[in-house]
Amino acid sequence: MKNASEVRYTATAVTVHWLSAVIIVAGFTLGLSMIGLPLSRQKLQWYAWHKWIGITVFLLTCFRLAWRWGHPAPPPMPTMLLWQRRAAAVSHALLYALLLVIPISGWLYSSATGVQVVYLGLVPLPDLVPKDKALASLLRACHVTLNFTLLALVCLHVAAALRHHFVDRDAVLSRMLLRPRPPRHA
Amino acid sequence: MSIGISERKTVLLRSFVPTLGMLLLAAGHAGAQGVLIDKSEIRFVSKQMGANVEGRFRKWKANIVFTPKDLARSKADFEIDLASIDLASDESEAEIKRQLWFDTAKYPVAKFVSNAVRNVGGDKYEVAGALTIKGITRDAVVPVALKKDASGNSVAEGSFTLKRLDYRVGEKEWADTETVANEVLVRVRMVLPPVQ
Repeated sequence: MKNASEVRYTATAVTVHWLSAVIIVAGFTLGLSMIGLPLSRQKLQWYAWHKWIGITVFLLTCFRLAWRWGHPAPPPMPTMLLWQRRAAAVSHALLYALLLVIPISGWLYSSATGVQVVYLGLVPLPDLVPKDKALASLLRACHVTLNFTLLALVCLHVAAALRHHFVDRDAVLSRMLLRPRPPRHA
Repeated sequence: MSIGISERKTVLLRSFVPTLGMLLLAAGHAGAQGVLIDKSEIRFVSKQMGANVEGRFRKWKANIVFTPKDLARSKADFEIDLASIDLASDESEAEIKRQLWFDTAKYPVAKFVSNAVRNVGGDKYEVAGALTIKGITRDAVVPVALKKDASGNSVAEGSFTLKRLDYRVGEKEWADTETVANEVLVRVRMVLPPVQ
């Protein structure tokens, strides 16, 4: 039987994880940058791209959850304490939940402003709510708050991964790499 | 008639200028009545990056005389307060009032003045007229369908597509139609109470 440090995420899971990471960082950065722009063609383009990124994150996350269902994640490191295992499980669940809820909140917000979402400029998505200014400002606040919650969780996620790799020197990070570099053991 | 308006009917729609009513009454039209403002609307749909963007005008006034048996004397004139626009955000509402778009400081009102109302079969009509936006006047034909709602009100619904660049709405960088399409779908819905 393999020991826990040899059980890796599948190449598909690893690829989609890092693809999601890149797209999420791009979508978040674009979101922060676009709101300050004066109204211009560029601003309208960036808003559209931001929405396309959000829908992509939603679709990728659905795929990842389905994949994970069929290919369970490797078990926690045997060296991890109970509270660490619990914290990891809860934060991973919250990350997945946010990656589904945040795009939906953005879609709702866009609908409430009266702007339809057309994925990649090709696939029109239905308006979830009718145009309503008060609802739009509420949904905007939700979308922003959820995003900063995600930012905090991602920081925790990255910090934990780095700690596993450089302090605990276990395989938690390397099993999420396509070409694992096992931590150096003394 | 099939539309259920058998008698000569004159309807005055007004939104914010009460004097129009007196004007029409003084001109000898009987049965002047107000439009049901809450149920009536002037909306539009533009396209940004391929996505529909809804909007409407909060303030407008209409002077509608509709006589199915005397279409020659029927008319539907509108004045729209462009600054009353309701768009996606405060920012876009501010932008569209600026010089490159509506230039509401110079051209506060858009007008439609009908010059012919034609029956095109059953409850379908065509209202032809002159549409003026930003000082530019062009002909427009609005197909209109008439029906009755559950409360017996007459509901006239019309829609037509205009090209914003025909009226210089969106100049310079905004004249590009990749980001904001040239075509704007305008939807008008007027609800008139039954004639007493």
